[in-house]
Amino acid sequence: MARQRRHWPIHLVLIAACFVMLVPFYWVLKTSVSGENIFSYPPSIIPRDPHLFYYVDVWYAIPFARYFLNSVVVSVLTIIANVVLNAMAGYSLTQAFAGKQIVLMLFLSCMMIPFQATIIPAYLITGKLGLLDSYLGLALPMFSTIICIFVFKASFDAVPRSLLDAARVDGLSEWLIIWKVMMPLAKAAVATNVILSFIWSWNNFMWPLIATRSQDMQTLPLGLARFISYQEDTTGALYAFCIMVLAPGILLFLLAQKEFVQGLTTGATKG
Amino acid sequence: MSLEEDLARPRWKRWLFNRFVLVPGGIGIIAIVWNAWVFTHNHGTVAGRVVDAKGAPVEGAEVKLWVFNFTTFVEQASTQTKADGSFEFASNPSHNIQLSAEKAGVGRSRIPVRLYFQSEDISLKRPLQLSAAETGK
Repeated sequence: MARQRRHWPIHLVLIAACFVMLVPFYWVLKTSVSGENIFSYPPSIIPRDPHLFYYVDVWYAIPFARYFLNSVVVSVLTIIANVVLNAMAGYSLTQAFAGKQIVLMLFLSCMMIPFQATIIPAYLITGKLGLLDSYLGLALPMFSTIICIFVFKASFDAVPRSLLDAARVDGLSEWLIIWKVMMPLAKAAVATNVILSFIWSWNNFMWPLIATRSQDMQTLPLGLARFISYQEDTTGALYAFCIMVLAPGILLFLLAQKEFVQGLTTGATKG
Repeated sequence: MSLEEDLARPRWKRWLFNRFVLVPGGIGIIAIVWNAWVFTHNHGTVAGRVVDAKGAPVEGAEVKLWVFNFTTFVEQASTQTKADGSFEFASNPSHNIQLSAEKAGVGRSRIPVRLYFQSEDISLKRPLQLSAAETGK
């Protein structure tokens, strides 16, 4: 009891930090149901006459369902590719092979190159493959991310070597070792990959802007830009749109936050 | 639930009864129910009543349906009220409309009506109340 009482200053600071971090989200939510301009004075904490009609406006102002479907398809493709390819890459990095350190250094150094710097080659490659303005083309540059490869590597490194040796003695191929032995033990890494690849794919604006030509292939971030460009009074509807774009990501994070945190901290306390 | 208890359950229960299935499943069910509701209530019917300043029904008032068209409201349809002051539109295509009513010598009124989906059937709870003040007299 006394120990719990000693923790109240920490809890107070944490509550204050939570409050500071959640206020912008609350403000977006409040504006989406009230339409009150952020510059209105005096500012009100509780929304005045809340309603959901701004969400209805957004739904009908643009082809929201089509953009949503596009974003979902691209995100699912990205998630599947990330889990499969990153697991294979992560597993290979746990093995000993000639030039492993060079590969690791190459991966680490490539993390410093911003995506904007690789957009032209990415566009040319996607164009040569004939994938521009297609779901596969929209997802292709995000099929594998180095950070997620290292998440898998850290998770696989934590698996005892004896388990791998036992699997090899039982006659499992390397491919089956990944899927039958490693992956069930790396659920946290899988969840981390799913969440990170989903959020990056879902929020991606630059690549879909470049890779899409038809309106039917646009994703939600492009829809948001389009919505802002031709709506005049957008205060409430714009914030409602933001909530509609953010909600799936927040929901996925809340669903898998336990595994996500585990995945990020795997290997952090090793040794 | 501990890990041991979780593993003791049948595999199909573990696959089916977890938050990754239940939450999207719940959202899916809500979406299906909502779409069923929309499908059965989207005939575009807008009904209401027109009364004067004292609350008495107004017969023969002209009621207009205005539909939001990108930036402004444009007239979609018009009708006359019956003896009991009631009116009805049968083909509202929009979710953001205005209703105006006017009768010479009695007054006029105009109200915004927001709907939850396009062509939602609605019966106005409050009547349009004509007032001379709005005619500018």
